[in-house]
Amino acid sequence: MIRFEQVSKVYSGGQKALNDVSVHLQKGEMAFLTGHSGAGKSTLLKLITVIERASAGRLWINGHDIAQVKPKQIPYLRRDIGMIFQNHHLLMDKTVFDNVALPLVIEGFSHGEIRKRVAGALDMVGLYGKEKHAPIMLSGGEQQRVGIARAIVNKPPLLLADEPTGNLDPKLSMDILRLFETFNDAGTSVLIATHDLGLIARMKYRTLTLKQGRLLGAQELQL
Amino acid sequence: MAQASRQPTKAKPLNRSKLPLSGRIVMFFVRHVQQAMASMGELWRNPLSSIMTMAVLGVSLSLPAALQVLVKNAESITQSWNSAAEISLFVDEGRSEQSIQSLIARIRVYPEIAEVQYISREQALAEFQRLSGFGEALSYLDTNPLPAVVMVTPTVKHSNPKGARLLLSKLERESEVSFGRLDIEWLERLQAVVRLLERSVLAVALLLVLAVVLVIGNTIRLAIMNRRTEIEVMKLVGATESFIQRPFLYTGIWFGVIGGMLAWLIINVLVWYLEGALVELLGLYGSSLQMQSLTFVELLELMLLASFLGWLGSFLSVRQHIRAIEPS
Repeated sequence: MIRFEQVSKVYSGGQKALNDVSVHLQKGEMAFLTGHSGAGKSTLLKLITVIERASAGRLWINGHDIAQVKPKQIPYLRRDIGMIFQNHHLLMDKTVFDNVALPLVIEGFSHGEIRKRVAGALDMVGLYGKEKHAPIMLSGGEQQRVGIARAIVNKPPLLLADEPTGNLDPKLSMDILRLFETFNDAGTSVLIATHDLGLIARMKYRTLTLKQGRLLGAQELQL
Repeated sequence: MAQASRQPTKAKPLNRSKLPLSGRIVMFFVRHVQQAMASMGELWRNPLSSIMTMAVLGVSLSLPAALQVLVKNAESITQSWNSAAEISLFVDEGRSEQSIQSLIARIRVYPEIAEVQYISREQALAEFQRLSGFGEALSYLDTNPLPAVVMVTPTVKHSNPKGARLLLSKLERESEVSFGRLDIEWLERLQAVVRLLERSVLAVALLLVLAVVLVIGNTIRLAIMNRRTEIEVMKLVGATESFIQRPFLYTGIWFGVIGGMLAWLIINVLVWYLEGALVELLGLYGSSLQMQSLTFVELLELMLLASFLGWLGSFLSVRQHIRAIEPS
């Protein structure tokens, strides 16, 4: 699903963000990505979503060699990736329904289909019946779940989450992680970037640790 | 390295929606209508910010349109004066009355000529004495210094400056004619003025059209900046540039359409205001012309031009600024 081969990223200022990273996230796998701030977590996620391009090495997302993806094709690549952000990136002047429906509108689904799928996605994250609410009226945990509903409404094969529990208390964080587990059970590949090590320790999933742009324990990742 | 050399699984092509073709085609039009309506609604909900822009567009578009109306009316007036062209043929001195009559008989059958009027030397003298006030002085002369004149009025078809000039040279080849004079210079001058007016209209119109494009471009740029975060999020969830651009393009078109309608309104008020004065002026010249406003076709052209300019201004802005917004 995600495959890095000796990928390095140097920003134009000369700052080395990733150094010779090789990793393979299988289809249907769930994994954590950890590391201190500045270790390269965000850069790795940006390379996957083609916000940034790698300076060296090759990477494949969902079977596509990123080096061969033209700028015009990037939107279509992103439609296969559900993205969840720490600050959830919701449109505050739109309703919950409009926020969650956005990927479907972009894809061009009919209105009836959009209604059905949005209701389904909101039901999955436990926000059924809150379509008409403005995001501003919801709590932090609920806003995060609206962001998750938007990420999964299109049924993408890959979910990326950047610090999804960053602003939440431990119980809410656990709820969110359980939610990701249910998506993973349904066959979706999930990669969660987090520095909440306590959370990871309680779960059985593979952990990728970045330190100063290098991947630690790379040997056992070759499994 | 065995893993590294393994080929990735076959991927679906990256340029296509997941929907079937028929659904895509239908939804393409549905989306267009929806986005057009949404843009209209957006303008409707925030009228204050757009009213100024629309007013500027209305005024900018009304100027070239008003000048067009002016030129059109000037043209219709000069056309009605075109037939005033008359040719005076001065007959050689010493020709007998008989040869003059035969000349008149010959030129009467010219297909280009509508009317021939003969003024003999005596008639000319009498008229001159009556009109000039030099009657006393003339009586001291031994002989009549005035030549006989044949006044020729060309047909409508040949009364334009070029046709009349051709006719004049043809008439001058008649042996009895000493020379002819075409009383058309003032008409040519008037036409030159009208041509100058037309050119200035074109130049002014081009400048104002440019202003319209720039105003719309700037308005759309501000709208894009206002919705920066929204555009970033849309790009993150996989919206294509054309999808993001479309509402802005429709906003530009609506600006143009409403600006065009405002211009049409302004012109009608202007015509109504000027009509009284113009009819009075034309009445003094003995003309019974009506002031013309924009015809339906011209209104249609104005609206088409306005919406095209709206689209163009928006397109130039959108192409530049939406590309510049990238999620980070």
